Amino acid sequence: MNTVIRTENLSKRYGVVYSVQRVNLAVGEGEVYGFLGPNGAGKSTTLKMLLGLVKPSEGSVSVFGKDFSRNRLEILSQTGSLIEAPSYYGHLTGLENMRVMQRLRDVPDKHVEKALQIVRLEKQKNKKVDQYSLGMKQRLGIAMALLHFPKLVILDEPTNGLDPAGIGEIRELIQSLPHEYGMTVLLSSHLLSEIEQVATSIGIIHGGKLLFQGSMEQLQRNSQPHVWMKTQDNEKARRVLQEMELSPSLQDGFLVMEGMGDREVAQTNRALIMAGIDVYRIEEHKKSLESIFLSLTGKEGSL
Amino acid sequence: MRTLWLELYKIRHKRLFLMLTILLSIELAWGFMAVSTSMAKNPDATTWSAILVTITAMNGLFLPTGSAVIVSRICDMEHKGRTWKLLLAASVSRKAVYAAKFVSAAVLIGGAVILQGLVIVAFGIGYGLAEPVPIGLLLRFVAGTTLTNLVVIALQQWISLAIKNQAFSLCLGMIGGFIGMTASLFPPQVGRLFIWSYYVDFSPVTYQYVNETMLFTTREIGVHLPIIVVLMGISFYLVGSIHVSRQDV
Ligand SMILES: Nc1ncnc2c1ncn2[C@@H]1O[C@H](COP(=O)(O)OP(=O)(O)OP(=O)(O)O)[C@@H](O)[C@H]1O
Ligand SMILES: [Mg+2]
Repeated sequence: MNTVIRTENLSKRYGVVYSVQRVNLAVGEGEVYGFLGPNGAGKSTTLKMLLGLVKPSEGSVSVFGKDFSRNRLEILSQTGSLIEAPSYYGHLTGLENMRVMQRLRDVPDKHVEKALQIVRLEKQKNKKVDQYSLGMKQRLGIAMALLHFPKLVILDEPTNGLDPAGIGEIRELIQSLPHEYGMTVLLSSHLLSEIEQVATSIGIIHGGKLLFQGSMEQLQRNSQPHVWMKTQDNEKARRVLQEMELSPSLQDGFLVMEGMGDREVAQTNRALIMAGIDVYRIEEHKKSLESIFLSLTGKEGSL
Repeated sequence: MRTLWLELYKIRHKRLFLMLTILLSIELAWGFMAVSTSMAKNPDATTWSAILVTITAMNGLFLPTGSAVIVSRICDMEHKGRTWKLLLAASVSRKAVYAAKFVSAAVLIGGAVILQGLVIVAFGIGYGLAEPVPIGLLLRFVAGTTLTNLVVIALQQWISLAIKNQAFSLCLGMIGGFIGMTASLFPPQVGRLFIWSYYVDFSPVTYQYVNETMLFTTREIGVHLPIIVVLMGISFYLVGSIHVSRQDV
């Protein structure tokens, strides 16, 4: 698989604080890459650097296998983007806004119609954008990003302000982009639940640092079930288990162990009974993706 | 060319020219009223010069404020809709947009100034002035006003684009209008520091009070002042364009 975006030690410093620090992104062709992080994690800053809107303090960006700073025009002509709040000319109608983009992108009229139709704005296209609702502006922003059917689409929190039906719609749209139009999508969000259904790969950023990058399955593998055991005497049980080369931790009156299959559970249980320790409970806890995300980024979360 | 076309497309529905026309109509109506009353009192001073002097002085007030408003309207739309990032991500250069905005504003306001010249001619003829239409004086009036105005536009555009809050640029326009109106009261060395005083400084006609009557004289401007003003304009333009191009979006 070809890599569409690759960054090397990409960093941005404002004053003495790094907003983005040594980020090495790798986005493969045809992927929907979910870029995840709490508020202030550095998502928008990273995406802006990918588009040349913010100059990196250190590091480099390459897109379509070409160095960004040297092939800016060519790369941008094949990239569509929506960064932070949507951009628009409020005194112009939706259609006129699209005409401005059409002129910039140099595409035929039918692209305009198609893009408006994709985001279902055809009926509102003759209304001034100042009179649009937030969700409609967001849709217009997506239409502008898709107008020239680029190879790469970068969307920063595209479902901001959309109602549940709209979120579902945009999710389906995003999912369809790779196979219908051969696009690669880089999508940011602060909600894992929003991304997990569409993303094929995921990058998790927090405090400017990329904490995890990989496929959805890899992330799920991190979420192997934990076995929680409650015994008559946890301290004593723990010593017994340690002799079996297990390293349980103590949490809320339970012994917690990772990476246990059915056999290992049976073995430990037997060993404890043999040692004369009654086992009250054996529970399996699966970590949800959301809690993996939280454990990576910290519960206190953002900022 | 593409950016200029876009710029003109973007200012549709804004009725900028209409706004300018209304503003200048108010100015001219006021100016002509003042001229008529003074000419009625003083038939000797019933000349083209009297009209030009009055309108020039009023331009000093109206054009800086009008330009500030027009330029601000042209620039503010990029701030309001956060469109710089849209344009940059579509590989438009900010310097090109800057140039296109300057040209649009210059054409609009330049057009209005020429229109003003024509209305002055119509008024003079309608009033039944004895002298023939002083084409030379009128051309120099339009040229001086336009030149000064270009520099004012360059300055306003810099402020309007660099500072998002348009109160700053509009305030500057009002200060400019005040200085432009009172320019003839400053000593020349002080007045020449401010671009707005050149509306009056470039006037091909001036006046003196002799025995409490106004005496109009035509004068040559020379090349010195225009060169200084052109240099001022080029520096405002370049500094503004470079400054704005380097700002974060
Ligand atoms: N121009 C700037 N000057 C100083 N600091 C900045 C600037 N832009 C961003 N930052 C800082 O960089 C950090 C990352 O901001 P960024 O907008 O990338 O976050 P984000 O991940 O997009 O957050 P959100 O989910 O809220 O959109 C923040 O701490 C922010 O304060
Ligand atoms: Mg953001």
